[in-house]
Amino acid sequence: MLFQPAIIALLGASAVCLLGMAAAAPFGVQILRHWDIASGSERQLALERRTYLFSTLVSFVLWTQFAVILLFVFNADRMSELFVGAMCAVGTLAADTYGFPALIAQMFVFFAVAGWLSINHADNLAPDYPLVRTKYGLMLGLLPLLAIAFGLQLAYFLGLDANVITSCCGSLFSEGSGHVISELSSLAPMPAMGLTAVAVAYAVFTGLRQAVGKGDGYVTAIAGVMAFAAGILGVISFISLYVYEQPHHHCPFCLLKPEYGYQGYWLYVPLFAATASAVGAGALQRFSRVPTLVDVVPLISRRLGIVAAVGFALFGLVAVLMVLRSNLRLVDFDAAQLILWLTPICCLP
Amino acid sequence: MIELNGIRKAFNQGRTNELWALQGIDLEIEANCVTALRGPSGSGKTTLLTIIGCLSRPTSGRVRFKDQDISGLPERFLTQIRRRSFGFIFQKFNLIRGMSALDNVMLPGYPTGEPRTSLRERAARLLDQFKLDKRRNARVEWLSAGEQQRVAIARALINNPEVVIADEPTANLDSALSREFMGMLESLVAEGRTVLVSSHDPLVTDSTAVRRVINMRDGKVL
Repeated sequence: MLFQPAIIALLGASAVCLLGMAAAAPFGVQILRHWDIASGSERQLALERRTYLFSTLVSFVLWTQFAVILLFVFNADRMSELFVGAMCAVGTLAADTYGFPALIAQMFVFFAVAGWLSINHADNLAPDYPLVRTKYGLMLGLLPLLAIAFGLQLAYFLGLDANVITSCCGSLFSEGSGHVISELSSLAPMPAMGLTAVAVAYAVFTGLRQAVGKGDGYVTAIAGVMAFAAGILGVISFISLYVYEQPHHHCPFCLLKPEYGYQGYWLYVPLFAATASAVGAGALQRFSRVPTLVDVVPLISRRLGIVAAVGFALFGLVAVLMVLRSNLRLVDFDAAQLILWLTPICCLP
Repeated sequence: MIELNGIRKAFNQGRTNELWALQGIDLEIEANCVTALRGPSGSGKTTLLTIIGCLSRPTSGRVRFKDQDISGLPERFLTQIRRRSFGFIFQKFNLIRGMSALDNVMLPGYPTGEPRTSLRERAARLLDQFKLDKRRNARVEWLSAGEQQRVAIARALINNPEVVIADEPTANLDSALSREFMGMLESLVAEGRTVLVSSHDPLVTDSTAVRRVINMRDGKVL
């Protein structure tokens, strides 16, 4: 199974990321141990000269993680043809014990990386490296996370066997299948719609407040994470049903298939980008009072707020369009319409 | 205005041909006057000027410019300071052949984003100031040594720097042109600029335009 082009690309990208981070780790340790901006010593000046190089390396490595998660999901979907019983990415991921843990680890890495990149960006805009210790400390924290994600990916791909009969998404996401996900699937459409609409609307609101410079990064981040969870819940519990026009097909991965016009990407890309931006704003909040970042952090946070607000709004809008375009009717239309039309109104600051 | 603390600079560090060009320089340079660095070849004058002018970084030690530590600044900040605060006149002028005098003068102004029209006007005014108005469209290789040097000075001033750094500026000039050059330095100081010049030419170091002479040898201030 390893000799699939997409798997080779994925493992190659992850291995390069891990190697890049591992190469930067000793430098991170040196920074933590010896950094002293007041000193003009040879070692301090060497650290100053090299810090930009290493932060560029780490940034490059971490930016690739955004592509890795997309490729991971896309690959899982494409590989479903190779497994008996698989209809979409769910079947591929369920074909080995490490499939879903690998995906979840990759998602954790994605959001952790978003936070780190925000901090790194702020540090690079200040003249006195105010966050250099923080960012290299966090980088050392990211290293095991990346190693775990890579290990899970490797274990997953090594464990894949084309002779194994896997489960299709229908069994995993069906109501009463016994999984935690089935509990989400069995959630009634109305409460799920309400919860998703309110969470997404609140995330748009906090993003907009952040964008106009009145927001609090922590609130934006919490609202973003809540909206992300609610968004995934919404996809599983009702959005997917409207797209498939089948009242019992809850799979969040079939949305990514060509049969459904790759519509899932219109939902997931804005949702992930918005959540990452909200997390980034939260990661920066703590440093907003650092003297040389007093002007920098609000500027970056405003931009992140814009991305978060636009991303969540786009997710909401796409979801609304999916529901309105569908021939399926899950709830009384007037009530649904009311919630859907209230969503953008709630978003107004 | 400029403060140097424990500046050391090594080339090829850790290799067999390691060379310490500067070996612990502590210095304060006053604003609004001409300061000359005097010393034989290899004494570290040029290395020191490049460090002060943010063209290179020390191996150890700190440089402060107007109370700001500039030796440790990230490159993007250093570039801004170098571009806005320092003007350079090189020994061989380093003008770009094939381009006119006016274009050479305008060149350092492009990265600042100033509109081309106003940049062109300022460059023309500077050339007028140095009596090169009739030669502004001539290619620099057609100019005499004295004219080339005046173009180099005009180019150093295009971004209106506070500090002008001249490295062996009279090395390629005869005595008359050297005296003329020192006169120009005096006029720069009269405009409120600080001038740092390295030379082992007595015409420079003994000039009345120079307020302070710093003697150097073997990478140290004597």
